[in-house]
Amino acid sequence: MTSSTGALLREPSFRITRYRRICLGITGILVFLSLLGLFLSWLSPLHSPLKPGLDFTGGTSIQVERLCDDKCADLNVDSIRKALAEPAVVQLLDEGRAISLRTAALSPAKSGEVVEALNKIAGPLKQEGTQINTIGPLLGEQLLRSSLLALVVSFVGVALYISARYARLYAAMALVCLAHDVLLTSGLFAWLGLLAGVEVDSLFAVALLTLAGYSVNDTVVVFDRIREQQQVLPNLSVEDQVDRAVAGTLTRSVYTTICTELPILALLLFGGESLHWFAVALFVGVAIGGWSSIGVIPPLLPLFGGKLPQKITSSVAVNP
Amino acid sequence: MTRPQGWLALILALAIGSLLVLRTLPLSLGLDLRGGSQLTLLIKPAGRITQVDSKQLEAVKEVLERRVNGLGVSEATVTTSGNDRIVVQLPGVQDPRRAAGVLGTTAMLEFRAQKAGTDQEMTGLLRLKRLIEAKLNQLQGKAKAADGKPAPDVSGPLAETLKSLGLEAPQGANEQQQLDLILQDTNRRIAGLFDPPLLTGSHLIDAGRVQQPNSPNWEVTLRFDREGGDQFASLTKSIAGSNRLLGIMLDGRSISEASVGPQFATAGITGGAASITGGFSADQARDLEVQLRGGALPLPVEIIENRSVGPTLGAENVRNSLLAALVGIGLVGVFMVVLYRLPGFVAVLALGLYALFNLAMYALIPVTLTLPGIAGFILSVGMAVDANILIFERTKEELLDGNTLFRSVDVGFTRAFSSIFDGHVTTLISCAALGWLGSGLVRGFAITLAVGVLLSLFTALTCTRTLLRLLLSYPALRRPGLFLAAPNQP
Repeated sequence: MTSSTGALLREPSFRITRYRRICLGITGILVFLSLLGLFLSWLSPLHSPLKPGLDFTGGTSIQVERLCDDKCADLNVDSIRKALAEPAVVQLLDEGRAISLRTAALSPAKSGEVVEALNKIAGPLKQEGTQINTIGPLLGEQLLRSSLLALVVSFVGVALYISARYARLYAAMALVCLAHDVLLTSGLFAWLGLLAGVEVDSLFAVALLTLAGYSVNDTVVVFDRIREQQQVLPNLSVEDQVDRAVAGTLTRSVYTTICTELPILALLLFGGESLHWFAVALFVGVAIGGWSSIGVIPPLLPLFGGKLPQKITSSVAVNP
Repeated sequence: MTRPQGWLALILALAIGSLLVLRTLPLSLGLDLRGGSQLTLLIKPAGRITQVDSKQLEAVKEVLERRVNGLGVSEATVTTSGNDRIVVQLPGVQDPRRAAGVLGTTAMLEFRAQKAGTDQEMTGLLRLKRLIEAKLNQLQGKAKAADGKPAPDVSGPLAETLKSLGLEAPQGANEQQQLDLILQDTNRRIAGLFDPPLLTGSHLIDAGRVQQPNSPNWEVTLRFDREGGDQFASLTKSIAGSNRLLGIMLDGRSISEASVGPQFATAGITGGAASITGGFSADQARDLEVQLRGGALPLPVEIIENRSVGPTLGAENVRNSLLAALVGIGLVGVFMVVLYRLPGFVAVLALGLYALFNLAMYALIPVTLTLPGIAGFILSVGMAVDANILIFERTKEELLDGNTLFRSVDVGFTRAFSSIFDGHVTTLISCAALGWLGSGLVRGFAITLAVGVLLSLFTALTCTRTLLRLLLSYPALRRPGLFLAAPNQP
């Protein structure tokens, strides 16, 4: 055999549509849990599907490091709170070596005063280890609006591209895939917010938007394979087409997911505190994206329409 | 099969070029990596202007630039963001209080004559003002009369004066804040006793400061242009020798009230120079000088965002993200070599080129590297390898089908291209949405991810292909064992 299409003719070693019930069952449970988390979070005192962080609510966060290595004087959260002119939520970090404060949005002058007050009670502070973030309430609202808008714009952009390159059914599927990945990642963070007080910030919005771009990436490979098969084997049933395409791209999907997860894992382990939850969101999101391109979209495809839309466009070729 | 020499030469040239770029152009690090303060100022429409347009945005930016220069922070930048925002970056500044004070106020300077027949009210308010200032000084522990004796306690007279003027102490958290509020109110009331301005700061051509003799206080000196000088002369002439005072107002608050002696009744104060003695400390005088030199802001601004990161924290961020990037690339490299043998090794080489080109692009564009930006780069490493995985999987399939090595490699590249292309485009669409609608940190991430995705198209396709062909020209490397990890394949 010397045909380059031989690989397409081989019987698939694994038929995903036979596991449709299991796959869609698992997905259904995950979707339900995510919606439940978002709903519970909305019912809870937070009144919001996710616990909004400083970036969305506006306010000031101040973090200072104390200049003491092993023998830090004991600090009491209440005494710190009392010593400050502004009402603040006080947290001790790193066994009392650092203090984190959250207040309403303060002017730079006011936040400077707070740092000085902290220096009096908990000092001496490390001169160069202070971090102050102030976000005006207006800005938070704007961030929320622009993030949602960006999400919608990339939804529409991806849908238009896929329908131009493939067919409308695939575009719809890509959107389902996108919505699935974003929903499940958000659902996890709703639970994290409820159970562990994890807040979502602008980086979380960035993570979601990145996933929106990435998740389709995986699914497109399956679509592309189906399109290629249709040129060689036009008369196969939908199930057969999907099974062959998934079996043919399975190894690649798993490897790619692992390869994307490895750097994120490094980010998670070594990236430091500021990127921690960002890395978690990406790690989980990429895993979910890998799952949806194997276990969600392919088993769903045969449920829509008896025959897969065919669009005879020759694939773009590169010739260096 | 075309000979790969041409491409190889191009890749080598690019690699050397990148190294040269990185040697000559430094990478610019964001404030979250080098430490410093970032202030975002929102321009607020005022008066007849209901919508800020690009001309006003530029005008505000120019004034802010002049003020930032006056602050003397090296490498400070002022950039516009959106339609009505200005971002000021102050590297190395830990405590942005002074900058916020200098940048955040309008600094509208006005010279006004006191309204006729308001003497009594003025005397009362000025007395109150002096008392409050004395009390504030006392509270701040720097009250010292000229002879070194502690200042007398003024609480009693202060309370009386407040009462006689029918004023009440507002509710505040502590005494000092209360006093600050009363002082502001008093200054506004004093301003109300003056006629509309006859001369404004727009006629200033220079400002300076000198210390007053035998006093810790400083005064700010002003120089007017010719027209301003004339106006100042006629203004002072009109009130010279009378009980009416000359008021100097800054943003609607009276900062100085002075009487003009009878000797100026004939010509006014001429010469186009004046000075403000408002009991300024050295710092206050310097800040006012910077503001006046920069000119008044055409529209008021409000500081809506302030991000300050200490330099040690920034260094820690750099260390962490660098380590994460190296470990990430290392892990991916090991994974690829284990999976794909020789092609895997080639992919790792391409990945090295990818990292190099990326950094060079950051220096060239230039992209300011921020923490989320580095995260975007790290993420794009995984995506860059994805293209190679697609290709090598395809190559493997063809090899298993009994095709020749050369043919398999070629088919692998051509067949995998369309899905690689589609995947990259969808990611770029998200990047475009982020870069277009996001701001600041978000945009930084989108730009690095987009640069990465575009470059990976080149490195994963052209570089890998060229290198692989080069290696295949050595017969010793043409053993299928170097391409297939194990004969049993799914």
